[in-house]
This record gives sequence, C-alpha cells and structure tokens, in this order.
Amino acid sequence: MSNSYTSDILKPFKLKTKQQELLIRVSILCLVYILAFITRLFSVLRYESMIHEFDPYFNYRTTLYLTQHGFYDFWNWFDYESWYPLGRIVGGTLYPGLMVTAALIYRLLHFLRFAVHIREVCVLTAPFFASNTTLVAYFFGKEIWDSGAGLVAAILIAVCPGYISRSVAGSYDNEGVAIFALLFTFYLFVKAVNTGSLAWGLASAFGYFYMVSAWGGYVFIINLIPLYVLVLLITGRYSMRLYVAYNCLYILGMLLAMQIRFVGFQHVQSGEHMAAMGVFFLMQVFYFLDWVKHMLSDTKLFQEFLRITVTCAVAVGGIALGVGMASGYISPWTGRFYSLLDPTYAKDHIPIIASVSEHQPTAWSSFMFDFHILLFLFPAGLYFCFKRLSDATIFIVMYGLTSMYFAGVMVRLILVATPAVCLISAIAVSATVKNLTVLLRSKTKVAQIGSTKGTSSAKASSKASLDQSQPFQKNGAMALLFGAFYLLSRYATHCTWVTSEAYSSPSIVLAARGAHGNRVIFDDYREAYFWLRQNTPLDAKVMSWWDYGYQITAMGNRTVIVDNNTWNNTHIATVGRAMSSYEDEAYEIIRSLDVDYVLVVFGGVTGYSSDDINKFLWMVRIGGGVFPVIKEPDYLVNGEYRVDKGAAPKMLNCLMYKLSYYRFGEMMTEYGKPPGYDRARGVEIGNKDIKLEHLEEAFTTSNWIVRIYKVKPPNNRW
Amino acid sequence: MAAHFFTLSIITLSLFVVASSGELESELVADLLTLQSESKSGVIHLDDRTVSKFLTYPRIPRPYSFLIFFDAANFHDKPELRLRELRREFEIVASSFITNHNSSNTKLFFGDIEFRESQSSFQLFGVNSLPHVRLVGPTAKSLKDDSDVMDQGDFSRLAESMAEFVESRTKLTVGPIHRPPVLSKMQLGLITALLLLCLPLVAKRIFAGETLIHDPKIWLSGAVFVYFFSVSGAMHNIIRKMPMFLVDRNDPNKLVFFYQGSGMQLGAEGFAVGFLYTVVGLLLAVVTHVLVYVKDATAKRLAMLFTLLVSFWAVKKVILLDNWKTGYGIHGFWPSSWN
Repeated sequence: MSNSYTSDILKPFKLKTKQQELLIRVSILCLVYILAFITRLFSVLRYESMIHEFDPYFNYRTTLYLTQHGFYDFWNWFDYESWYPLGRIVGGTLYPGLMVTAALIYRLLHFLRFAVHIREVCVLTAPFFASNTTLVAYFFGKEIWDSGAGLVAAILIAVCPGYISRSVAGSYDNEGVAIFALLFTFYLFVKAVNTGSLAWGLASAFGYFYMVSAWGGYVFIINLIPLYVLVLLITGRYSMRLYVAYNCLYILGMLLAMQIRFVGFQHVQSGEHMAAMGVFFLMQVFYFLDWVKHMLSDTKLFQEFLRITVTCAVAVGGIALGVGMASGYISPWTGRFYSLLDPTYAKDHIPIIASVSEHQPTAWSSFMFDFHILLFLFPAGLYFCFKRLSDATIFIVMYGLTSMYFAGVMVRLILVATPAVCLISAIAVSATVKNLTVLLRSKTKVAQIGSTKGTSSAKASSKASLDQSQPFQKNGAMALLFGAFYLLSRYATHCTWVTSEAYSSPSIVLAARGAHGNRVIFDDYREAYFWLRQNTPLDAKVMSWWDYGYQITAMGNRTVIVDNNTWNNTHIATVGRAMSSYEDEAYEIIRSLDVDYVLVVFGGVTGYSSDDINKFLWMVRIGGGVFPVIKEPDYLVNGEYRVDKGAAPKMLNCLMYKLSYYRFGEMMTEYGKPPGYDRARGVEIGNKDIKLEHLEEAFTTSNWIVRIYKVKPPNNRW
Repeated sequence: MAAHFFTLSIITLSLFVVASSGELESELVADLLTLQSESKSGVIHLDDRTVSKFLTYPRIPRPYSFLIFFDAANFHDKPELRLRELRREFEIVASSFITNHNSSNTKLFFGDIEFRESQSSFQLFGVNSLPHVRLVGPTAKSLKDDSDVMDQGDFSRLAESMAEFVESRTKLTVGPIHRPPVLSKMQLGLITALLLLCLPLVAKRIFAGETLIHDPKIWLSGAVFVYFFSVSGAMHNIIRKMPMFLVDRNDPNKLVFFYQGSGMQLGAEGFAVGFLYTVVGLLLAVVTHVLVYVKDATAKRLAMLFTLLVSFWAVKKVILLDNWKTGYGIHGFWPSSWN
C-alpha cells in the first residue's frame, strides 16, 4: 500500500524518456561545470590563494588600478614605475579584456553585497572562465556533431591539462579568458554559417571583439576564418549562409576591434590581417559572379566572363597588396607571426622571442603530457569528420590541424589547440561509444532500426551488422567499450595528477622535497619583494633581468628598468650589457640609468635551476644583439658554458657572476662537497674571492634565491 | 775608395734583392689569383708543395694573409665534427669576400689543406684536432706559433662569425655574406608565380566541380599527415636540427634512439611515437567504419582481435615511454585507506 502511495506522489514527477534524457544531460553539464572549476583549485589547496608567475602580476596591478581609479584613468594611465626612464603608456599597450572582466565581476559581487577582495576575484577568474568554456564546448560539439559529442567534449576540456596549464586558480593571464572567447567566437561563427542568420553573425562579431580585447591570439581567428572560407569556396561549398556570416563577422568585427587602442588600425594596415581582407573581396567577387550567372543564360558566355573576372580580381588584389607594401601603408609581418610560418626564423633573428621557454618547439612528450589519450583519438575523430563532411566539421578539422601545426612550433600554442583536440576526440569517443552501445542494445533487426535515429554512421554500422556474427559482434563491442572506458579513466587519472603536481605551482613560491620526503617551501621571492617595499625609498629604481620586472612593481611597489612587456629591445639589451660587463663598466651603465638597487636571482644554494646564471647566456645574446662589444664566445669555453674553474675569464668577472656568487665561496651547501659548491649546476664555482667595488650587498633572502645589492654613490672627487 | 765601392755594391745589391723580391711577390700573388680563379668557390687547394711555396718560403712580411681550412675527407662522415657544413660555410665566406672585392683584393686568400695528402703541413701548423681554421698573417714567422686560430665560438654562427673573425684580425672588410639563394625565397617566388598562372585554370575547374580537391580522401590523408607531422615533434627536429639518433658515448657501437628528459627528443623517437598515435587512431576508425562491411565472420574476428591487441600494446608502450622519458610517476589520488 505504501508502495502505491509513493508512486502516486511521484506520478507527477515521472518523466518521459526525452525529459529524462534532458535531465541527465543538464545534470552532467552542471557536474562538469563544477568539476572544471574545482580541479583548478589544486593550486589554492597546495599553496594559497595567490597570483602566479610573471605576467599575471602586471594584470593584477592594472586591475587594482582599474578598480581604484576607474576606467578612464586606467585607459589613460601613464606608468612611470616601469621602463624607467621611458615609462609605459599602459592603456595603449595592453589588451584590457581581462582587467575589465575581472573589475566587472568585482563590481557585480560588491553590488550583491559580497565583500571580496579584488585579489580573490583575480585568482578565480581563470577557473570561472574555464567552466564557461566547458559549456561553450558542449554547444559547439552539439553544433558540429550531436549532443553526445558535446557532452564528451565538455568533459574532456574540463580536465584537459593543455588548458589547465594556463587556467589554474591564480594564473590570472589573458589566455584564461581568451580561450573562452576564442571558442565562443568559433562556435558563434559556425552557428552563423550553419543557419545563415544575421543574429548569429552579429553575435560572432561581438565574440570576436571580446577576443580582440583579451588576447593578441585573435590573429589566429582572423586568419583561420578566412582560410576556412577560402577552403569552402574552392571546394565548391559557397553559400549565401557563408556570405552573410563572414561579411557580418568581418565588417562588424573589424570596426569593433578598432576600438581597442592596442590594435587600432591594424586590421586595415598590417600584413597579418590582409588575408581576411582579401577573402572579403573574393567573397564579393563570388557573389557578383553568382548574380551574373543568374542573369546570363548562356553558359559559354559565362565561362568567358568568369575567366576575365577572376584574372582581373586576382591581378587587382595583387597590385593593391604590392603597392600597399611598397608604400609602407601595409606593414610587413611581425617577427612573432613570421616565426610561426617559418619556425627557424626566431632562433636566428629574434633572441628575445627565442629566449622565452614557452616559445620552444614542442617535443612529443609535451604533447603526450598535455593531451594524453586525446592524441590517439584525434586521427579517429578526423576520420569520423571526413565521413560526415559538413560546413561545421570542415571548420573543426581545419581548426584542429592548423592549431596542431602551431602547437608543434611553440609549446605555449598547445593551449590554442586544446579545444579543437578535445572536440575532435569527443567526436571519436561519442561516435564510437554510440555505435557500440547501439550494437549491444539491439536485440533484433526491428528493434535495431527503431533505436537508431542518431548518426548516419550508426545507421551504417547497424545496417552492416545484420549478418550472422551478431554474438561475436556483441563481445567485440563489449571489449571495445571496456577499453574505451579504461582509457578514459586513465585520462582522468592523468589529468588529475598533472594538475595537482605539475601545473599548480605558482612559481613564485617554490616547493621541493626535503631529505626526509617532507615538503619544503621556499618563499624567497616574496620575502625579497616585501623587503624592497619596506626598506627602500619610495622612488628607488631597481634593475633586474626583465623576467622579474612585473613582480617587483606589483609586489615591491618600486620602479624597474625593464619588465616582461618586452617592447623596447634596446633598453633590455642595455640591462643585458650591464649584467655581462665588468663591474666598473657596468657601474657606468647603472649610473646612467639612475639605478639604486640591483636584484639577481640565484639558485646555487637551493638547486633552483631557472635562475639568472642559467638565463645569463640570453642576456649576453640579447645584449650582444644591440651592443656588439658583448660577444657570446667570450663567455664560453670551447662552446661550453661553465661557471667552475675552467670558465672563461670574462664570465668569472662579469657583474652577473659577481653578484650571484658574492660570498658564496664561504658557504657550505652540501655535505661532502667543498665550500662554494653550486647545487643548481653541480660544480664548485671558479671565483670564490669576489670583491665588489661599486655595489654592496643589501639583502639576501633566507635561501639565497634573491639577492639585492645597493649601488654606492660615486666617490668624492678630489 | 774601396770602402766606397763596398757600400755602393751593398746598396746596389740590396736594391737588386728588393727588386727581385718585389717581382717574386707579385708573381706569387698572380699565381694565387690564377689558382683562386680556377677554383669554383675561390678557395685555393694547398698541399705540402704549395704551402712551402706560398707560406714558408716567401720573405716576411708576405704581401697577403692566408685563411686556411684544415680538412680531412675521411672524417666527413662524422656528424659531430660538422666538417662538411663548416667547409661549405668557409667557401661561402671566401666567395663572398672575392665577389665583394671584384676578385681584385690581394691582401687575403682562402685555402684548404687535406690531411691525407699533406700530413707534413698539418705537422707544420701543429694541427691535431678538427675542425680547425687558421689565419696566417703577413708577419707570421712560425706558421705554428704566430698564426691566429679561430675558436669554436667563431664557428658558432657559421659564415657570419667567420667573417667577423677575419675582419677583426686582418682589418679587411669582408662585406655582406652572399649565401647561395636557399630554397625558401627562390622557390616561394616560383611557386607563387606558378600559382598565379594556374589560378584561372583552377578556378574554372573548381566551378565545374571535378578536381582532386573535391575528393575527401585526399584531404583526409593530408589531414592525417599534418597531424602526424605535428605530434611526432617533426617541427622540433627541424628547428633544433636534431639528429635521428645519437651514438652512445660509452659504447660507440650502440645507438641511442630515445633521449631521456622532457623538452628534448631525437628524430626517430618522435616519428616512432607519432606513428603509434596514428595507428591506434586509424585502427579505431577502421573498426567502426570499415570492418562492419566485411562479410566473412572469421576475418572480422581476427581483424578485431588484431586491432584490440595492437591498440593495447601501442597505448601501453607510449605511456610507458612517456613515464620513462619525463620521469613522472603518474598515479591516481585514491583515498589512503585503499592502499
């Protein structure tokens, strides 16, 4: 009786199959949304709620300024605390999307009476947008394949290490927002192409605007979409829908993008954007031809007309481009862009690009680390896409392949490839699992046909599986299904481990394993920056290698000579030259820059390997690129970089060496090793008796990671 | 009187000597110029005889400097010495210098000496390791001690740094380096020209809808190739100029195919792994799309079994390799009570 009672109560809640499916889908999406957020909180759990790495500190500092002074002050901000004595026009040299987004969230939370600190908002912005990306991935997957593929794509992208690497809590960088914007723009564009609706086209233009405001990677969009349109044109898939979508995106997106000061008129002036413009005009030619074809009934006449028009159009375009380039109206490609197309370019010509570790080419292990099983699924996904070619699948294939190529050129671009890889792999997983489950569930021929209303591939397989090998088919399907789930669970394990162990380090607080397996934390960076903040005059100028510029201004609140915004190569080269000169020569440079303190990062005591001595060759290279008095071979012995007794004499006496190893020769670092044993390079240093003449040690942090020297005033003249 | 005669004779004698040595020098230079013009790159091939003729025998100061590349044909196949590459760069410097001075500069000549045929010259210069480039200045008395050796660092940027070395030591200007037009620029121009020519033709066929580009199979294979190219790290190999494999340092007979340490890889290693990725992916596609059309049940079964085994092996192999290479021990975070 009680049974019937409860069923009576539940009756209104009893759902039809379709509703059940919807409920399951929505709850999966909710769970994925939450999962994407919380898996990125490992960094907060393992360390604390703090801003990570280098660039995020600048973003944090500007966001703070934005919330304190308002948008217009932020927009017109001239920052005299960096690039001393040049200063930096901040409003005109940054992508404001991230800061504005965080400030808006901050405002919204305060409006809702949540009194949070802006730092917490900044820390959690990237995870929040990563969660939103999963939703976009779902809709995108649904658009190009079906809702199953969408769900799988959402799950895959939620935990994919390639994306997590740039979006953990605290990594408050442009990419965190930009990947969302990128995928969103692509989704809206594909939707616009599929529907031909002006509204979606408009939305994609606004998505593009957001992307432009957030990250320089928008250049990828403005080149991929024209390429895609071009491929559609030459494969004979031109349609009115495409025309509407592309023109809407291009014209509106371009006008909107011009509102960002950092981008300005680049859309009509820079070589990187010319492909989009060319395709735009090509599109008009196509439209015109279509119209003429419609008007002319004679095919022969039309062929002749076609030939003349196409030749003329290409010739005019070519001449226009040539004239534009020659007259300097269209700027040539920038080094960064060029190094993507000809990857060996940067290595030979632009050391400042080649020196950044995330600009290194990708080895297979990095792909494996960031994608894991998605790499196996990717070719299968490609195959599925080609089996069911449509405008949408062509897009995702092109996106996948171009971004894969770029990911091979530069490690950091794995990030851009991640959504595409997740989507294509999701298609593989979803289509396979769907096929297999259809096989498993089908009892008879009739039931089978009844249950397949999904993909054409599923239909094909069910048609073909009508032969007598049904039982084996089922076993095989079981085995394959089991394998697929095993693989997916391995993927989950891998992602969790990678997130927790590899990608959650803030790199400003370092963690190491102690001798007894315990965790040791080195908080030297913040120690040094707070020392600067509290013990130096407000207007003190600090010279360091550019990596630490943003952190010094944000945390130490002191003026720096160069920082991570590497806009002036000569200025950086001057610092590089000072670091690689003898002390008295360096002193002159230091005086000319009004430097009060010099900061170096040193890992000899802790074994921290990304310190200034290991970066030193890049200082020499960059310095030597502008000042030929600095020559790399002077610092090498037989092409080898050494710091021990066999090191080059210039190396042993240059400023960087002296500042790093000052009084290090008196120090025992490891049992059984002589004093002055450098643990980062595993050698005993070559110059233990370092005398400083024009600088004096001001502060060294507890683990010697950061060393700060005060520049002495010049001697009295007699 | 006798004394007068004596001084006079000395003066005339010395005048004679000066004149004859001047003649001799100009002869030598002329010889060198002909030798230089005979050689394709402008590098004069020296042997023991010519070394003594042009370097040991003439009076000091010689009217010219000599930049000599020490070559050994039997070491050309040792990739770590980079003899071929350096020699090519050396020839580029030589030909650039000669063209920049319209073959009329007689202050500097470029030469090479081969080890097999002129061992005594190698001894004369005291050369016992390669690659070795030496600049013999006009005033160098002893070829071994007074000549300048080019350091490793001066090879580092190839022709450019060699030219800098020459400029810094001889006070001569080499001028811009003329590299033979490498593929990229020239071919790019050709290709674009060809493309422009073909464009109307192609466009016509496109409108007819009857080209190869309408065949998805071609696109598919292209796509898989791009994928393979990227994930195998081929770009890395090209940029870093990684060799396919290394020779083991401890045991020269053994080859090292896999490099331990993330962020670096050898050529063959990347291709092997990329191949494994591609195979598994394509097998999966084949099983779900092609295998279902096979009529024969046994064949189907065998194919299925094969696929499963190969995929299992490949995935396992790649994951093992990755763990070995990066040194990470990836594990799940299970509740501690489960262990």
